[in-house]
Amino acid sequence: MNTVKEANDVLLDCQNVWKIFGARSSAAVKAVSDRGLSKKQVLQDFDCVVGVSDASLQVRRGEIFCIMGLSGSGKSTLVRLLNRLIEPSLGKIVVKGREIATLNAAELRDMRARNIGMVFQSVALLPYRTVLENAAFGLEVRGVPKDERNETARAALAKVGLSDWISRYPSELSGGMQQRVGLARALAADPEIILMDEPFSALDPLIRRQLQDEFRQLTKSLGKSAVFITHDLEEAIRIGDRIAIMKDGMIVQVGTAEEIVTKPADDYVAEFVAGISRIHLVKAHSVMRPVADFKTSQPHCDVGALLKASPEADIGELIDITMRSDRDAVAVVENGSIVGVVTTRGLLRGVAGMPAGAPSAA
Amino acid sequence: MDTSVITDLFDTWTDNALGWIGDNGEWLFEFIRLILEGTYDGILWLLKLAPFYVIAIIAGLLAWRLINRIAGFLAGVALAFCAFMGLWAETMSTLALVATATILALAVAIPIGIVAGFVQAFDRALEPALDLIQTLPPYIYLLPAIALLGYGPATALVATFIVAMPPSIRLTSLGIRMTPREFIELGQASGLSPWQMFTKIRLPFAIPSIMAGINQSLMMAFGMVVIAGIVGSGGLGETIYGAVRTLDIATSINAAIAIVILTMVLDRLTQSAAHRAKAGVR
Ligand SMILES: Nc1ncnc2c1ncn2[C@@H]1O[C@H](COP(=O)(O)OP(=O)(O)OP(=O)(O)O)[C@@H](O)[C@H]1O
Ligand SMILES: [Mg+2]
Repeated sequence: MNTVKEANDVLLDCQNVWKIFGARSSAAVKAVSDRGLSKKQVLQDFDCVVGVSDASLQVRRGEIFCIMGLSGSGKSTLVRLLNRLIEPSLGKIVVKGREIATLNAAELRDMRARNIGMVFQSVALLPYRTVLENAAFGLEVRGVPKDERNETARAALAKVGLSDWISRYPSELSGGMQQRVGLARALAADPEIILMDEPFSALDPLIRRQLQDEFRQLTKSLGKSAVFITHDLEEAIRIGDRIAIMKDGMIVQVGTAEEIVTKPADDYVAEFVAGISRIHLVKAHSVMRPVADFKTSQPHCDVGALLKASPEADIGELIDITMRSDRDAVAVVENGSIVGVVTTRGLLRGVAGMPAGAPSAA
Repeated sequence: MDTSVITDLFDTWTDNALGWIGDNGEWLFEFIRLILEGTYDGILWLLKLAPFYVIAIIAGLLAWRLINRIAGFLAGVALAFCAFMGLWAETMSTLALVATATILALAVAIPIGIVAGFVQAFDRALEPALDLIQTLPPYIYLLPAIALLGYGPATALVATFIVAMPPSIRLTSLGIRMTPREFIELGQASGLSPWQMFTKIRLPFAIPSIMAGINQSLMMAFGMVVIAGIVGSGGLGETIYGAVRTLDIATSINAAIAIVILTMVLDRLTQSAAHRAKAGVR
């Protein structure tokens, strides 16, 4: 029962998808599926580049899914596979329950026009059209009458705070404003899923942060799903509900920001998360000690008298609570009962990024 | 000698072929002549409807709007000067010739260029033909035309038409092919149909290039129309040709000045229109 509901909620399902570029890609694909060659071997034996290798991910309704990876790790390739701007060499992509490889040209156009929007790093605003005409572009393509589409576009531009710029041309706008128009264009078309390929990476940090927050808030308030590509882990953490980390075309880990920061799947991910501040990421439940454990080490301490916090309280909040208390520990309370204790040592461990399971006595 | 036999043979063969085409295709060439001279007469009639100062003022206003006030003033005065030299009628016939040939050339060249922009094989096949047209001396085109259409404006128009086409074909094709990749991707991701992709993305991006092609075609047409004076095109070309034959230096210089004025005014006007199209795309 539960699983059926969950399956329905998956808007975009990408199953074991490969993309191999090159003249002999079909032979390479065969070798990969038969013998499981690695990216390096494929390059050596077939002179083909593996863009995406065996990627699987699910994007649920209302979720912002970030894909993070270094330059050349295959992020753009993966996101272009999702709306079939490029064809997968192997694997299956299902959008809203329909496998997109089986759509004919007209159905594919319709799906792109109605269900999957895209925002580009280069923004790609049409220079010979005003801001309003650009924002209305998606609706124009679908044949929505002029008055109606302009009204929708105006509303979308208002959402991104550009009401006063409607009749300007893109060249008169700053980079950040142009990105906003790109977002408004995608929103006006009202797709269920928005694909974003590094939309903010050309912007300066301040504007970028502002747009990240605006984007997250807008997407959430409109109930949209989004796939957001970035090469910046902090951006992924700020925006994403879940994050996939890509390396050499492979997805090496998928999880929430906290999962990725506290339990990196391998050294590569660990290196990435090393510099990330944990204060607002690590929650009480991952740094607390069992009550019994605490009692044996500090038999004189009355657990019931400690200040209390919820398991979802982050390290920042826990530090605040500890500072207000005269004890060095905080009780974690769930449903009225104490489920664990966070000690100062536990807090330090959380900030330093040591895994919760590491020996705490050391 | 041996070779002269071959060349003689070739010459008679060409003569015969032209004669045959002339005899059997008469109705066709009559028809072509009708269209060409009809358009030409129509445009000329229109141009002669207004007195010279009205045309000069219109040109001045256009130049003022498209370029600036000084250009507007100069264009108006320069055209009026043609009338003061007593060459207004000839100037207008030349303008009508150039306009007719260019409009017809564009009507053919732009669609061809668009197709060439899409079909790479066609573009590659077209390339040598266009090279040939542009490398041969332009008066060559007068010969077959005079054989088939006879002495008069129709021959001048055909030759001018041929010479004016290549730049527009090339630059239209280039413009269509040069659509930035990211905008093609935008079109695909937005679900554009092929026709929408053409009208909403490729064509608007190609406009500056097409405009540059129009300007170049116009300039080619001006060059040809003077040469076509030899075949009785009418207008300034014929004036110059006649003056040169009678060694009437003064008249030939006046006519040359009128040609230069007309060419410069039209060049400036179309060039600034092309620049505007470019600025729109930026
Ligand atoms: N059309 C193509 N033909 C051949 N190889 C390609 C093509 N597109 C991408 N690749 C290769 O696929 C790999 C992944 O490229 P991709 O553009 O997806 O990386 P990315 O993660 O988006 O990088 P960036 O952050 O620089 O945008 C690279 O090795 C690249 O060389
Ligand atoms: Mg990329």
